[in-house]
Amino acid sequence: MSEEPPEPAPVEDRERELEAMLALSRRSRARLERLYEVLNSPGHYGVGATPTTVVYRENKLRLLRLLDEKGQPRAGPPVLFVPAPVSRYFIIDLLPGRSFAGHVAAAGFDVFIADFGTPTREDRFCDLEYYVEGLVRRCVRTVSALTERPAINIVGYCLGGTLSLLYSALHPETVARLVLLTTTVDGDVEGGIAWVAHKMGLAGESYDEPRLVPAAEVKSWFEMLSPGSNSTAGRVRDLWERLDDSPERLRDIRTMASWVDDVVPAPGRLLAELYQKFGPGKNGLMAGTATVGRQLIDSTKITMPVMSVSAEKDTISPPEGVDAIRRLVPHADVVRLQGGHVGIVAGRAASGLWKRTVEFLAAGSGAGDRR
Amino acid sequence: MPQRAESFVVEEQPKPEPTLVDRWVEEQQQWQKTLLTYMDSLGKNEDFLVHLGNAMRGSLLAGKPYPRAEAAAVTAAETPADDRLDRILHALHQIEGQLTDLKLSVDEVKANARKRKDKKKHKDKGEDEADE
Repeated sequence: MSEEPPEPAPVEDRERELEAMLALSRRSRARLERLYEVLNSPGHYGVGATPTTVVYRENKLRLLRLLDEKGQPRAGPPVLFVPAPVSRYFIIDLLPGRSFAGHVAAAGFDVFIADFGTPTREDRFCDLEYYVEGLVRRCVRTVSALTERPAINIVGYCLGGTLSLLYSALHPETVARLVLLTTTVDGDVEGGIAWVAHKMGLAGESYDEPRLVPAAEVKSWFEMLSPGSNSTAGRVRDLWERLDDSPERLRDIRTMASWVDDVVPAPGRLLAELYQKFGPGKNGLMAGTATVGRQLIDSTKITMPVMSVSAEKDTISPPEGVDAIRRLVPHADVVRLQGGHVGIVAGRAASGLWKRTVEFLAAGSGAGDRR
Repeated sequence: MPQRAESFVVEEQPKPEPTLVDRWVEEQQQWQKTLLTYMDSLGKNEDFLVHLGNAMRGSLLAGKPYPRAEAAAVTAAETPADDRLDRILHALHQIEGQLTDLKLSVDEVKANARKRKDKKKHKDKGEDEADE
């Protein structure tokens, strides 16, 4: 028995279907046009948002001093930002209106940023001492000389916080106030970048015969922290779904994403030393065995006011490992904020951190009244 | 008697609502325009390709550094067999740092001496005025 051919849909139904498809087509096209607009927007990545002048150079390092609207350095108490040497410095000066360093400067501080630059082959021999007793110390001395202040404020972010903490233990008389942002002090707390690097074979990194660890490898450790986010399909799907947002919001997202992608190579000797001294199972800071060069780190020397900030959803520096500073520096002001590792510094809700930092720094200086 | 000028008011006819077919044709043309813009940028503007590739990570030219980033960002080389030159360069960087330390120390000594001198001068002036 042969089946009757299906009756054609009524004209109205077919028209409705075509109207719906037309609307879908228009929406998809609008998304593509928005993507084009966002990808062609200039000046929102690659360098800091605030005008600066270079006041000191050494090897790849540049010490930047933020300038005011008239192109002049500010006269307030000095603050030195120390970002992580494995990422690009401009996360703390990301966009106009979205700049942590710019906010602190506008509050009346003379702000400096250490840009460690991009290491090249010969820099694979740089160790912890080179960074702490060399680059960070000379940045502090330069800021001190320029501003004629014997002690300055330091704000360290992530691994930059570790460098700042070690420096402050070795030269406490030169640090007025210390702010540590998402800085892990307890290496035994599971999770985070140190654990991932450990699982990915950082233990095999040689101190004596170091290599320059490629940026792609460093990036792969970060990507391991959020599985799935690094697949092309996942990335394209995520991007496509977000294209209904406003162009401003998309630009913000893209700026943050471009920073996350823009990892720099890392000196193998530094990573090997960090792993051997502070990594899982070693935990030199908490155990009191950490050294920089031949100098033992004595945390009781950290007598200046300290504020340590952790992020509730931080997958890079787990908040428990950051807040452990309570045991290392009992007088530290420990703050936990909502958000992730990058979000609390440069995300939409970053103003909470900026305000807390300005309040903390101003408590010792009298600046910070302008906001 | 002046002649009266006659004026005509032409009433605008409301445009007929485009048919579904017209709207589809227009949509197709818009798509062509959008795709051509993309093709044009992909062919002529390498920055655009880099941005697009990085937005999708792992595809196109995603491995290329962002503009203004130093080229070394992605050219991390393996340890060469003969790394003596690298070791010498690293040692030179360390010496450069030590020289800066020395310069900063000399500057500090100078600044302190100047301050002491100024203080003494101020003190002597005060004593002279008191004597007078």
